[in-house]
Parts: sequence; C-alpha cells; structure tokens
Amino acid sequence: MNQNVDHILSTRFGRKDGHLLSVYESEEGYQALRKALTQMSPLQVTEAVKEAGLRGRGGAGFPAGVKWGFVPQDADQVYFFVNADESEPGTFKDRYCLDYDPHMTIEGAIISCYAVNANLCFIYIRGEFGWLVDRVQRAVDEAYAAGYLGHNILGSGFDLEMIVHKGAGAYICGEETGLINSVEGRKGQPSIKPPFPAVSGFLGKPTIVNNVETVASVPYIIREGVDAYRQYGTEKSAGTKLWSVSGPVKKPGVYEVPLGIPFRDFFYEYLGGMVEGEELKAVIVGGSSVPVLTASEAMGVNLDYEALAQAGTMLGSGGMIIVPQSADMVELIQVLMHFYFDESCGQCTPCREGTGWLYKIVKRLRKGQGVQEDLDLLDQVCDGMSGLTICPLAYAAVMPMKSFLEKFRPEFGALIKETTPVGPRSRWPMGEQEI
Amino acid sequence: MAKLTIDGKQVEFPDGTRLFDACSEVRGEPLPHFCYHPDLSIAGVCRLCQVEIEGMPKLTIACNTTVRDDMVVHTNSDKVKKSVQKILEMHLINHPVDCPICDQAGECGLQDQYMEYGLYESEVSIADKVNKAKAEVIGPHVILDKERCVLCTRCTRFLDEITGSRELGIFNRGDRAEIGVAPGKELNNNYSLNTVDICPVGALTSRDFRFQKRVWLLRSTPSICPGCATGCNIRVDHEADRIYRLKPRRNNEVNGPWMCDLGRMEYKLVHDEKRLKVPLLRQNSELEPILWQQAWSELTTLLGGEVAGVALTSAGQTLEELVLYRLLFGDIFAADRVWGGLSGFGLKESDDFLLASDRMPNRTSLTWLGLREIKPDDLSQKLSGPAQLVVIYGGDPVTADSKLESTLADCDCVIYLGTHLNATACTANLIIPVSMWAEKDGLFVNKQGRIQTFHRAVSRPGETREDWRLLADLLAELTAHQPPTSLPQLRRLVAEELGIKPTSLVSDLPVTGFIPDLSARIPTGGDH
Repeated sequence: MNQNVDHILSTRFGRKDGHLLSVYESEEGYQALRKALTQMSPLQVTEAVKEAGLRGRGGAGFPAGVKWGFVPQDADQVYFFVNADESEPGTFKDRYCLDYDPHMTIEGAIISCYAVNANLCFIYIRGEFGWLVDRVQRAVDEAYAAGYLGHNILGSGFDLEMIVHKGAGAYICGEETGLINSVEGRKGQPSIKPPFPAVSGFLGKPTIVNNVETVASVPYIIREGVDAYRQYGTEKSAGTKLWSVSGPVKKPGVYEVPLGIPFRDFFYEYLGGMVEGEELKAVIVGGSSVPVLTASEAMGVNLDYEALAQAGTMLGSGGMIIVPQSADMVELIQVLMHFYFDESCGQCTPCREGTGWLYKIVKRLRKGQGVQEDLDLLDQVCDGMSGLTICPLAYAAVMPMKSFLEKFRPEFGALIKETTPVGPRSRWPMGEQEI
Repeated sequence: MAKLTIDGKQVEFPDGTRLFDACSEVRGEPLPHFCYHPDLSIAGVCRLCQVEIEGMPKLTIACNTTVRDDMVVHTNSDKVKKSVQKILEMHLINHPVDCPICDQAGECGLQDQYMEYGLYESEVSIADKVNKAKAEVIGPHVILDKERCVLCTRCTRFLDEITGSRELGIFNRGDRAEIGVAPGKELNNNYSLNTVDICPVGALTSRDFRFQKRVWLLRSTPSICPGCATGCNIRVDHEADRIYRLKPRRNNEVNGPWMCDLGRMEYKLVHDEKRLKVPLLRQNSELEPILWQQAWSELTTLLGGEVAGVALTSAGQTLEELVLYRLLFGDIFAADRVWGGLSGFGLKESDDFLLASDRMPNRTSLTWLGLREIKPDDLSQKLSGPAQLVVIYGGDPVTADSKLESTLADCDCVIYLGTHLNATACTANLIIPVSMWAEKDGLFVNKQGRIQTFHRAVSRPGETREDWRLLADLLAELTAHQPPTSLPQLRRLVAEELGIKPTSLVSDLPVTGFIPDLSARIPTGGDH
C-alpha cells in the first residue's frame, strides 16, 4: 500500500527526479503493467476500471470502463489516444502529471491499450506545451528501452507502439473528434456524431480517447485493487481528483484530494483562504466553461460530480478559478468570451456567429456604449447557441455567460450609462475586427 | 420498414431513410437547410434542419438521423420554429445582404428561408459586419464572395468527394473562417460550375452568368445536353429567345444532379455569330442570301432530278430526324448511298466521370437505324465520278477531315442542311438553315441506349426551318411516303421503326427517359 494514502496521482509532483524511469520503477512503477499483462485478461482490466468507478477527468465525467466497453468486440484494429491537449482556461493538472510523472501516464496508457486491444497509442500534447513534448518523448524512449513498449511487452505477446504527437495549439482539438481529425491531418474541428469514436474514430477504426488524469489513475486501480481506489471519494464519484487552483488564495497550485470533500474545507485547509486584504466573491469550480458559483454557494457544496451538478454547475476538468471581491466580473467574462470567440472552430453557425456576437456585446458594455436591452440580448444570443451545435464549445461559452449575467447582473447594469443615446442602433455591435 | 409519426401523420419509410428526406416528403417541401445535400456526406453544420423528436431532451438535426420505429417527430412546432429563426439570425448577422447586386437573389437559400422562418425586424447595420474579400476570381468559371458564404461546406465536400480535386478548403476559424483556394491551385476542373449550383447563397457565382440576367425573369425548359453521349439531363434557362445558362436536372440514372462545364457552354453555339439564318445559294462563286420560296424550289429541283447522289448526316441530329432522313434519302438515292456520318467524328478523350469520349449526343440512334459511318477516304472514293450530288445534313465533315474540301469542290453540287457557316457550309452550293437542339423538340439516345426527350426552349432564328417538318415536306414532295404531320405522329412512326409500343415515345415517355427492349424489332428497309 502506498504510504502517502491521499496521493494516488501526485506522489512525485514537485520532485526533481520523478520523471525518471529509475525513480518510477523504484516506487512500484510498472508493477501494475506487469500484473495486468501476466495475471489479467483485457476484459478483467476493463471490469476493474468499471468497478472502480473511474470517471473521465477531462470534463465530461463519463465512466472510463464503460467507454472502453463500446469498442466492438470483433474490431480488427483499435487506436488509443491520451488527451493531453489541456487548454481549458484555469486548468493545468495534466501538465503536472506529464511534467513530474510521465511514466505513470505511460503505464496507464499501456494498460488501457491492453484492455481495449489497441496496438497504437498517441499521446496528444497541446502545442503550447513544447517542453513537455520533449519530456514525455524521453520517458517513452525509456519505456521502449526497458521493454514496456514495442514488441511482445514483458513476454506477454502484447505489442504496442506509442507516438508522442504535438498539437498545433487549438482548444477545440481537446474535443475527441477534433483531436482525431487533427492527427489525421485534417482541420482540427469536431466531427458530427454518431458515429462515436469508440465505433469509428481514427482512420475509421474504433478509437478511445482518454484524458491524462484518467489514464494516470489506471495503474493504481490495477496494482492496488478496486477497493483500495474506492476508499476515496463517494459512491458515484470514486477516487481522488486533481484540482488546479488559480486566483488570489494563499496557496494556489495543484492539489489531489478525494472526491466529495467540502469546498469550505478545501478552501481553508488546502488553499489557506484568500490572501490578505481580499475576500472571496465567486468560484469557477471546474474550468472556465462551467457556471460560476457565488461565494456563499461555493461554501455550501462538496467537490464531487453529483453535488456540483446539484448546485447548478459542473466538476468539469477541475480547473478552479478563485475570484476575489476586487475583480470586475464583466471584465472577467469579456476575457472568457474572447477566448471562446477566438477558439470556436467556425463550423456550426450558432457557435461561429454566436461567440463573436457575445464577445462584441460585452465589449460594447464595458466601453460604456451599452443599453439596458443588451442584457436581454446576451440572454437571447445564448439561447440561440444552446444545444444546437456539433460539440459543446458553444455551450461552454453560454454557461459562464448566462451564470455571470444571472448572478452578477448589477455589475453589468452599472455599466449602462443614463446618458447613452437612445435611438436606432444595432443589435450587432460596431464593426471591431481586431481580436 | 420503420413506422413513425411525422407532424401527426402516420408514415412508413424503409429502414435507413434519412429523417431529413422522410420529413421533406411528408411536408411536401424540404426542411430548412444549407449544408445537407443528398449526394454529399453529412456535415451537420448549418444546424437549420432541427426537428423535435418526442422523448429527446434537445432538438435534433434531421440530416444526421435515420428513421426509427415509433419516432414521433415535429417539424413545425413552436420550439422548432423559434430555434430555426434564431439560427437563421446567426447566419445573417455577418451576411452583407447585398441582394440587389447578387446574382443569387431570387434563388437564394437565405432569402427563401428568411421569408419562411425569419421575418424579424433587422437591426443590423451595414457598418457592423465582419468584412471579407468579395468578387475573388478563383478559376476560369467561378467567382467567390467570401462575405456571402454561410460556410455550409457543400463546395469543399463536392471537390473532396465527387471530383477528388480538393481545390477549395476552409481557412481560419470562428467567424473569421472562410472558403479559400488551396495554395498554388485554382478552381479549374471540368465540374467547377457544380459548386455554383450547390452553393445555397451567392458566395460562388458563375463568371459566365454573372450580371447577365435576374433569375426571376428566366424561364426554364427541360432538355438534354447535346455535348456528349452521356446525355446529361439539363434545363435551359432563357428569356426572350435568348439562353442565359444551362443547369443540370436530376436524373439518378444518368448524371445525378451534376453536369460538366463543357456542357454548360453548349448554349453559346445557339447564339453564335456564325449561325445560318437564311438560305444561301452560290451565285458567281459567292454564297448569296435567297428567299425561302427560291430555296425550296432549288432544293426540290436538285433532289427531284435523276442524279446519282450521296447523303451524309451526323450523330448530332435527333432520332426522329434520322428516321425521316433515312426514309427520304433511302428513297431518292440508293439505300447504300445513305450514310450516318464520318467515322471517328466527335471522338475525343473521356474523363472518369460524366464526359464521354463520344462527343456526339446521338450516335446510338445511328447504330439502331443501321446508318453506318464512313471513312473519309471511302467517301472521297464514292464521290469520284461524274455528276455527283452530295447532301450533307448536319455535322461538319470538312473540319473533321480537310481533304474532303477538295473532294466536295469537285462534286457537281453540294447541299448543306446545317446550323453554322462552317468549313463544310463554305463548300456548299445550296445552304438550308435548320434548327439547333434548343430550338426544337426531339429525342436523343445516349450511350446507355436510353431514349431521352428534350423540348424547344427558344425560337428558331430568321428563316431557319424546323428539321423534321422540312424532311416531311420533302417526303411529301419527292416520294410516295405518307409523311407525319404532327410530332405525336412522328413519334409513333419512330416507335414503329424501333418495334416498340406506339405510345412509348409520346404519352408513356418517362421523365427520366427509358432504355427500350429492341429485341422485337424487325429490321426494316435500307439497311446494309
């Protein structure tokens, strides 16, 4: 049993040598792989991950084992992708995993590939993470040299090739079909579903795409067993979760805590509360795409999938943004709206046009050129974007926009000047082409 | 079969039917859409074909859904209408709304759907739009306006999936996304104008048609492309006896919804400046215009005389004309002196899509009627000898083989029944102007053996004759045959000739044409 019981994923975080194979091996590294390949069938691995209740850590929270089960049994070729295109504003946990402990993700990926019978695995790393590509590539090279990758791994007869792929820097390539398209050499934009990648993905073959943190959780589940994993978290939100915390708290950073702990405890005990002179105003819990919580709402929730859903938000990626009283919520939403406007792939009309429209209206408000009707217009534009697109990017822009407007409406209202001229004007803000 | 309910109607469709097609059929009109095209892959990006399926939490796009048993679908609920209106507004916020100078106006998806679903007060001012490049020439036939584009990707999918030439792509992202030409390429393939057809807005327009005519002034006549043996089904768009463009007309058995760019330019020959409009008679070695009465008397005198002659026609004439031609000249001359045309005439390179190597529309009819083609040298040989009369009906054998020029010059008399003052016409002593395909009704038989009908779209110019009536008049004047006096009568005569049901070329003729069973046919006179 691991000595540091609360740390499944982050035992080597912050250490200078944690990325080395020798260190990883000396701390039970690749034991899970050995166990899976020599003592378990692929189906048993899948079942274990299913029973452990491991849910996708990229944002959607879909049970990983169930996703693996969608791969048709008679598939002649299956591909596996580790999604390290971590681009959600506020999220930087996967970066820690790959930077401090790349072998854990690699081991998890090999076991996952074994489970779904994939013989080719890509680790898709966000383009902006240039140095990380080198670090992960070195770890992959080490794993090849040690016989954990390549032909007949550990004498089991299982073959696996692993390719480290660097993205070109697009948020939308973190969406699994966008990711697959970009590796295929197409424009990085999501494909229409169905078919889902587990049935027809990379090169038309069944493909599983899992987040780094999800994959990194697999070795522990296999090595220590389902019960050991389930001692953390709640019934439906099992295990531990990495939270990347930014904002003016005393101790920002990446934390691993069991799912289900109260935000209040996390905030005071781990983060140390706000820095001197600041008060908590709001919390964006799970990355910039989820609805914002006010301070009082946040103080009442537990950090697990169900409790956060009940509170009207989402656990998302665990990219927690702490917003202080001194922050201007309209400025903050302008930054976020610019992000989604910039990152929309432009494929679906409601998202392509809607993200730009929202951004321009917010900008107009902040310039003091807004009118009262603009607040309703923001809502209307959001309604025209919701649930009408191929991928959730439009919704990712709508959720913060609507919640900011609902919970901090007075701040928007305060920007509307009495002197704003009344008369014919455009619903569509003045032509400002700069991004 | 799937049993489902669409807009309150119980309906059945075969499994695998797209919900889009099922809904469109039940409604009697398509769901609103830009990106869906039945012959292309599903993109699902315009988001307009939303329908409400009971039991589903969200609206669903019908184009990416197939019919299932017990589905209850609403295409016209308030929820659907409201959502379509919102999406349409999104489509329009950056659209330049330059309809007054846009060729697409009148047949534009944005206009049509705004009238159906939009009708909101526009609060968008011209100065507020995202600006993009306009009027960019991207190939010999097509011009691109990036501002009007709704990014439906039909053009890129057509070039990826149908031609495989992939000249266009979408560059950039978000509302900066735009259609563009791949580096170092231009949109230059023989099917480029299909992108103009499938563009639902005025983003891609035809350079040939640009600014020529408002589309609502045009009238359309169903026709068959005369450009090659494929026989693409087309429509002729015309106004005041002038043709402005040719557009493909769907026939899944022949051309689907497509046609080639070469075919689209066929109409230009109809209005060509070398068109023959009046009869011409060679007098003092010059071709001089004559009155029709004089031409008729010259013609009947020449053909009625006891003189050895040879007749040559072409695979450009209609099936009916060829039947009458064989009847007439088989009677006047000896049957073995009546030829289909020059062998090899109009044979060129084909491509792997629609364009056939046989660039004549009706060679199959020649075969069916036993009108053999003749090698130029053999023809020269036949014409050597005294007192030869040569009748050339259509085609341009002299251009095909320039040696024939001197051969024909040595003949006593050359009569040319044709449409253009070409090299062959210039050798003639008497020229009778006849009509082109767009000026008459007729039948072409394509390379599949499919009989297809086309209709008169524009009037014949000047003193030009309607071919079959001219031939029928000659039959009446010069032979003992009872000539047909109406088009249905003529078609019955053709049907009889082919040994098929008398009505099969009249009332029973399907719009997609048909391949007749000729096994019952009894070969009739004049064959070699």
